[in-house]
Parts: sequence; C-alpha cells; structure tokens
Amino acid sequence: MELGPIWRAILRNKGSYLLIALQIAVTMAIMVNAIAIMQERTTKMARPSGTDEDNIITLSSIPFAPDVDVRSMIDEDLAMLRSMAGVRDAFASNSFPLRGGGWSMGLATEPGAGHDGIGTAIYFSDEHAIETFGTSLIDGRNFAHDEISWNDEAVNKWPATGIITSALARELFPDEQGTVVGKTVFINENDPVKIVGILDRLQAPWDGWDHIENAMLVPQRLDNEYMRYLIRTEPGARDALIPLIEEALAKNKDRIIEDVRTMNEVRERSYTGDAAMIKMLSFIVILLTAITGLGIVGLASFSVSRRTRQIGVRRALGATRPAILRYFMIENFIVSSVGILAGGIFAVALNIFMVQAFSLTPLAWYVVPIAMIILWLVGQVAVAGPARRASAISPAIATRSI
Amino acid sequence: MFRYYLRLGLLSIRANPALSALMVAAIAIGIGACMTIVTIHYIMSGNPIPEKSDQLFHVRVDSWDPNEAYDEPNEPPEQLTYLDATALYAAGRAARQVISFLSSRVIEPEDEGAKPFQRETRATTHEFFTMFNVPFKYGAPWDRTADETLERVVVINDKLNQTLFGGADSSGRMLMLTGEPYRIVGVLDEWSPVPLFYDLNNGEYGDPAPVFLPFSVAVAGEHGRWGNTNCWKPIGDGGMPAFLASECVWIQMWAELHSDAERQSYLQFLDAYVSEQKTLGRFPRAMNNRLDDVQAWLTYNEVVDDDVGVLLGLALLFLVVCLLNTIGLLLAKVMRRAKDISLRRALGASKATLFGQYIVEAGMIGLAGGLLGILMTWLGLRGIENLFSAYDFVAKLVRMDWVMVLTAVLLAILSALAAALYPTWRASNVTPATQLRIQ
Amino acid sequence: MLQMKNVSKVYRTDTVETHALREFSLTVEEGEFVSVTGPSGSGKTTFLNIAGLLEELTGGSYELDGRDISKLNDKERSRVRNEKIGFIFQSFNLIPELNIFDNVDVPLRYRRFDAAERKKRIVDSLEMVGLASRLQHMPAQLSGGQQQRVAIARALAGEPRFLLADEPTGNLDSNMADSVMQLLADINSTGTTIIMVTHELTLADRARRNIFVRDGRVSDSAGNLQLAAAS
Repeated sequence: MELGPIWRAILRNKGSYLLIALQIAVTMAIMVNAIAIMQERTTKMARPSGTDEDNIITLSSIPFAPDVDVRSMIDEDLAMLRSMAGVRDAFASNSFPLRGGGWSMGLATEPGAGHDGIGTAIYFSDEHAIETFGTSLIDGRNFAHDEISWNDEAVNKWPATGIITSALARELFPDEQGTVVGKTVFINENDPVKIVGILDRLQAPWDGWDHIENAMLVPQRLDNEYMRYLIRTEPGARDALIPLIEEALAKNKDRIIEDVRTMNEVRERSYTGDAAMIKMLSFIVILLTAITGLGIVGLASFSVSRRTRQIGVRRALGATRPAILRYFMIENFIVSSVGILAGGIFAVALNIFMVQAFSLTPLAWYVVPIAMIILWLVGQVAVAGPARRASAISPAIATRSI
Repeated sequence: MFRYYLRLGLLSIRANPALSALMVAAIAIGIGACMTIVTIHYIMSGNPIPEKSDQLFHVRVDSWDPNEAYDEPNEPPEQLTYLDATALYAAGRAARQVISFLSSRVIEPEDEGAKPFQRETRATTHEFFTMFNVPFKYGAPWDRTADETLERVVVINDKLNQTLFGGADSSGRMLMLTGEPYRIVGVLDEWSPVPLFYDLNNGEYGDPAPVFLPFSVAVAGEHGRWGNTNCWKPIGDGGMPAFLASECVWIQMWAELHSDAERQSYLQFLDAYVSEQKTLGRFPRAMNNRLDDVQAWLTYNEVVDDDVGVLLGLALLFLVVCLLNTIGLLLAKVMRRAKDISLRRALGASKATLFGQYIVEAGMIGLAGGLLGILMTWLGLRGIENLFSAYDFVAKLVRMDWVMVLTAVLLAILSALAAALYPTWRASNVTPATQLRIQ
Repeated sequence: MLQMKNVSKVYRTDTVETHALREFSLTVEEGEFVSVTGPSGSGKTTFLNIAGLLEELTGGSYELDGRDISKLNDKERSRVRNEKIGFIFQSFNLIPELNIFDNVDVPLRYRRFDAAERKKRIVDSLEMVGLASRLQHMPAQLSGGQQQRVAIARALAGEPRFLLADEPTGNLDSNMADSVMQLLADINSTGTTIIMVTHELTLADRARRNIFVRDGRVSDSAGNLQLAAAS
C-alpha cells in the first residue's frame, strides 16, 4: 500500500539495510546448498538394499586351527543354523550389500580380451541365498542343489550359471525386450556364464559405487578365511537369536566368530558419513536461520527505538496501530526480498561451483523457492515482535519536546 | 585514554545486554563452526611424516591393460604385481625400499581362558621401520636375514602388547598367529601417522595394523589379501603360484631417495626394468613410471574427503553471515547513538578518538566472541566425534592443537576488527551539525 | 464544534499520581482561533494531546462534532485524527528519511486517497506555504521556518476541520515566527478551527480568544487578552 515511500526511506539508509539484505543473501545461498546436499544424501540413504534388512544377522567366521576342515565346518554350521527355531534360512557368502568390501568383476556379452566389461558385484552363493537375502526372483529359476560347487583355487574357472539383478540385466542387454534368462555372458574374458534367473533387486556391497544395483549370484562356495554367514530370522526373532547363535557357533573352537551385526547396524555403519553430513548441515542451517532471525530482531529493535518519535508523529497524523505494524512488516519484506533474490542467484552460482568441485548432484529447482519462503517467513516472524512494540508507541510522543 | 574507552565500551555493552550477547554469540558460533571444520581439514591434510616426506617416494610402473589406462588420464596402477614388487625390491637400487600388503591373522593369547581374536597384519620387509621412522619401545626390527630365510618373526604395537602381555617387554616371547608360532622381536611405541600415507587402500585415516611380519613369510603362508586386488588379465590355473605370476596388482612399494639425482637415477632404473620386461612380453603399454613423494601421493589420492571441502566452504560462508550480522548490529547501535556522538564531537572529540572508542568497544565484543568460539570449536569437535562414534579413527581427526587454538584466537580478533571497521568509520564520520539540528 | 466537560487526566506510576487535568471544561466553536496559555506544567500539552486524541482521558466527556470521543477504539480514534485534525508541532516532527513530498504524503496515505488525488493535495498544500519547488528536498536541507511550513502543509493537506498547534514558533526566530503566524491566520480565515498552545503572550494575542490554564483547570477564558496580560 505504501511501497514507494518505504522504498525511498530504505534508500536514505542504505548501509544497514544493505547489510541485512546481504546477510539474508548469504544465508539463502548456504541454506539452498545445504538443503540440496541433505536431499541428495537422503535419497542415497533411502535406496533399498534388496534384502530383508530388519531380520538379517551377519557375522564373520574365521578358521585358524592348523588342520581344520573348513568345508565340513561350514556345512555343519549352516545345517545347525537352519535348524534353529526362529531362523528362516542361512547361507555363507563372501560379502553382502552395504558391507563396504567385496569382489567385483566385469561381464561382457562377447568373449575375448578388449571388451569393455560391465562391472558387477559377485556373491558366492548356494540355493539358500535368495531366500536368506529376502530378495525375489522375477524371472527364471533358483540354483539347484547339485549345481553348487566348492571354489577350487587350483582351477581358475567360473561356474557355468549365474543369477543377476534386473538392473544388471538391463545394462547388459539394453535392447532386449523379452527375457534375458538363457542368455550367456562372459566373465574373466572367456568363461561363459548362462543367466538362469533375474533378481528384483540386490545391491553391491559398496554404497558409493556407480554400479551399486549390479550384482551376480554364482553357484559356488568359498572355503577361505573371508567367510561371512548371513542368517535370516522370522520377524521379531532376531534380537533374541543373536546370543543363541553366538553360543551355538562358539562350540567349535577351530575358528572365531567376529563382527556379529544386524543388517540394520551394517546399514548404519555404511551410511555413517552421509547421516553425519545430514545432521551437521541441518545443524548449520538451523543455527544460521536462528542467527539471521535474531539479527533481524536486533536491527528492527534498533530501528524502532531510533524512530520512536516519527512513529508517534505518524500515529498523530492518523496512522492506526495495524498501519504501523504493517509499515515494519513491509519494510522487512522489501529488504528480505532484495536479499532473497540476490541470494537465489548466489545460491545457484555456489551450487554450480560445488557441483564442479565436489561432484555433487545439481540442486533441484524447487529447493530455491522453498528456501525463499522459509526466509520470508523467518523475516516476518522476526520483525513481528519489534513491529508490535512500534505499534504500541503512544501518539503523544509527538508533542513531547526533545 | 584506553582505559576510558574500555569503560565506555563496557557501559555501552551493559546498556544493551541482549544485543551485545547476540553479537558475541554470533561471532562465537561463526568461529566455532568455522574452526571445527578447519581443524578437521587441517588434520586430514596434514603431513604424516614431515621430517622426510620429500625423500619417500611411492613407486608405480605401468603394467596395465594395453586397451585402457588403469585410471584416466593415463595413470599407472597404484600397486604393483608380485613379479614387479619382488624384482624391484631385490634390485635394491634405492637407499631403502619397502614392499608391503595388508592381511590378517587370528591371535591366540597364551592365557587358556582368553578368546582368540582377529587383527590386521602388515606383511612387509625389514626396512619398513627405519624408513618410516617407526618408534620402538622394546626390541628392534627384524633384519634382512629374517626376510630371506622366511623366519617367523613379528613386531607388535604397544596396544596389543598391553592386551597380551600387560605392557611388559615381550621381545623374545612367542605369539601364536593362526596356528603358527612367531617370535616377537620388537614392540612399537605410540605411532599413528595421519593420514595413513603408506597404504591408502584401507581407509586413509585408519590406524596402522597392530602386527608386522615378514612379507616373504606372508606370501609363503598364503595370507589373505585385505587391500584391493585389481587384475586386467585372467589368472591362469594353478592356485597361488599362478596368482603370484599373474598381472594382478596388490602390493605397495616405497623407495627412499635422498636427492634429485637419486630420484632421476631410480626412474632410469625403473625404465630399464620395464624395457627388459617388455622383451619378455609384459608391459604392453607405453613407458609410464612414476615416483610421487608423500605429499604428492596424498594429493593424487585426494585424501581429504569432498564432504570436508563442502563443509569448509559452507562454514566460511557461515562465518561471513555471522560477521554481517555483527556489522549490522554495531552499525545500528552507532546510528542510534549518533546524537551522543555528535555531542562528543561538539565537545572536542576528534575523529581519531571516536574511532578509538568504538574500535575498543567492538574489539571487546570480538574478543569475547573469539574466546567463546574456542569453546564452541571444542564442542563442535566433540559433536562430530559423537556422530562418528562407530569409527575409532575419527578421534584422531578431532583434536585441537595449539596451532588451531591460536588460529581460532587470531580469526576471532580479525573477524571482530573486520566487523567493527565499517560501523566505527561511520561513527567517527558523524557530523555534529546535522545531528543536532534534526531530532 | 469541540466540547470538553469536566475532563480529568491522571498519570499513575507505582508511587505517584499526577493530576494533569481536573474538571477541565471548554467549548470551541466552528471557525474559532483559540490560544491556550499557562505556566509550564499547567496542563497545556495534556489538553492538546486529549483534544487531538493522542491520549485518552481519565474522566469526564469529550465531544468532537457531536461525537463522544471517549467511546472510540484505537482504529476509530486514528481515523478521526487523520480526517478531522491537523497537527503542528514545536519541533516540526518531519520524518528525516523522507523527502518533502513523502512527508506531506504521510497522512494522505493513511487516508487511502488514490495517487492522483494525493499528488494534487501535496502540491496544492505545498504551494500554499510557498514550498512547491522543494518537493525532492530532504528535511535536513531546509531552514527551520521552511520545515515548519512543510509541517503546516502536511497538516493542511488532509483539509482538517481542526488545526492543533503546539508552540508552532517555539523553535523559530521572530521573522520566521511572524510569517508562520500569518499563515495560521490565513488558514483560520478560510474556516479552519485553530487551537494553539503557546507560552508567548504576543502570539496568543493574535488569536481571537485566549484560554488560560493553571493547575490543570481553565483559569479564565475571554474574548480578548486583557485578563491574561494582566496576570
């Protein structure tokens, strides 16, 4: 209603208004970029691993006795685990999603050297793997029991069959409309692997890997020191089973059991950095908003006390209380808007820089208007207190001599 | 005069307790956020071995795939094949050279009741300890003979010695590792370089493995590889011998070279070695060998996490916001006191004295903010330690040393002066006449 | 018409009760030019504040144009001030960060006139006080007399029925004071009722009627200044 005179009054006092606008602009730039990064990390952390995370226990079994028969030890362990009440299934593998370490290979659709392979994680598996992970076959079949072999280190040959994730299938055969089951891919340059099944989803063990959705189960078991057991329990049975499992496995003194973790804990460890980043950034944003808000309160209070007399005059000249309130709200809105618009440009520039320097995901367009609205609201809320005090100034101030 | 300024400043601060507190808090929080990240960045990008970082060189030779580089742009692999590592080591052309890889063993304590546990082991050669200035508490490194005769000897760190032997001098005693007896020859003193420069494959800020044993023993005993193993060519049949003869890279090598001439001559040696290998049908790529000193190697591996860079940038901007906030409030305060200032001017105060008066007031606020900021930094570091409580190594990254405390104080004073400058300048430029005439 | 009956105003603090006005009764007719004089602390300013609806009264009744003012809420009081009353202050009370045009504009904005109407009124009223050429000047660039003329223009722009002046020449030298008084007389001659508080008897002399206030009461009221001059 009176933008013109307010704007001209602001221009008379550029210094302090410019400072607050600048402060809002930098706040905006930080806020937008922090929200963008938080959003990126939230999305990253929300990706499902493809496993029944709430009901899986993982552990390492490390044989150390000089002449232990590792193969029969694993068979006995798994038979015992599968027979425990509350255990749905169990198997031994080299790794599992979110573990952070594992085995990767390149798969090619043609044999021979010189073909660019498509990277995939390898999970050494048996016929219990799919049920234990809690993922599902969307095409093809599971491994048969007699298909499973022990890894023989003397013969560097890969098994003839494999089950791959649907993401890997799409990447290997982008133009295939029908089923991929039955097709052959090549591992280790020349070893053919026939795809017998397609998994809905199963992540690779590294949460930051470009090919995280690529994984292949191979019907082979390892008998070396890297064995990890995965145990899937019935819903709700997990926590009670952990001590029972540890106790049962401890009976065999030829090996040690370490790193007993639930899949939830594995996830938490894997994403510790991202979760910490989200917390630190939200802390920064909250502090920043508080400081900027309090700064506006402070400046507005100074402004009100400096203008006590003119507020009295305005009141004497017929300004109602809401009109005085409105004056300060509008003034803040104008100054905020200048800061917010400059901040929008600054935010985008900063984002472009950060995307180049730190390989971040570019920010989504709607983060900018969200931050704008937040800062407008913060400004209006912050100025409301001083503005109310201004509106309570008595018009009789005007007749008081200096 | 200074004391008079101090008194005026205190009076003014007391007249606006809430706003003064806000200014102090803003500076403190800004300094706190900034210094928290600066501290972490400073530690992460620190020099782990300053006394000889320019004499230690990480060795790379390009044994990779003819069709594509190991890493763009045309970078050789970070590790060596067994063939190359052992050949280069055996040549012994550097003042010292070390090859190593990370593995693990199960430790069986002597106590009957104690449960066995697994620990990381570093399989390396005898010069590792002298080359990297590793301090010994008891005993000494093993010697060349032990490497050559595959003697089962170990060096353990202080912490493991505490666990196993209650901190007593255990050199000469035996230790069971995965079913085999080893003789302890030395116990390390506290030692944990940050970053863990000599092997960046297994966490750049992790702790050194607590157990060191001869490379030759680990290879003969087929100890598992805990680092990365990268292969570009299939491994033939035949188990471990086939793997050792393969083109898979998995061993880190460092050479100690004392001058540029030594470095040049070592590079020539590497080139000669590769030429010789080419005649045997290996090394299909063009000659591409590298020697990077410690700092160059850390830079190449980008050990400072991107997130720390992002946070550092945002924290600096955060400090800017806090300063703008303080400038704005100081300015508003000055403007409200314009009448008081013009009166002082009328009473004979010069611009310089007014400048002095207000800079002292701002300085007090800055100093208070800075001191509080150091406390905030400490709190911030504790907070980050808490966020990463699952990882022990983070404790090493959140320590404030005297350099950081001084930096914090300096940053606080600079910030306060920067914040005070413009308002103070405005204050000293208030003209008496205008302010007396209008209201 | 302005009519006060037994108006009282009490200022209370925790320990002290000050009776600024007691049983104050006064009637001012349409078109009058009334001066209010009295020693300092006598209640002149309190009377002006209450007359101008700047303060509320503690007791008694106050009617402006037949309307009982004591019953109005803040919004209605603001509206009455804005539409019916113009103020001239001793210290001019121009808003330092607004130029002359915007200063005169202030009450018109609150009146919600459209832009063209406001502009016409601003220019007209500034012309009337002889400052139409200084629209873009800031208050600080004008002399005291000029500032007071702007304040008068601001008071007149809304065409108020009552003009309340509080020591309008108190901060001016005698030459400027004289021209301001002449201006007020001219304004009064067009039908605007003027109530002027002053302690200078020579100025009070220019009014048609003088009211003498002492101890918060009307001590005397006469068609001329003989009594006041005598006391």
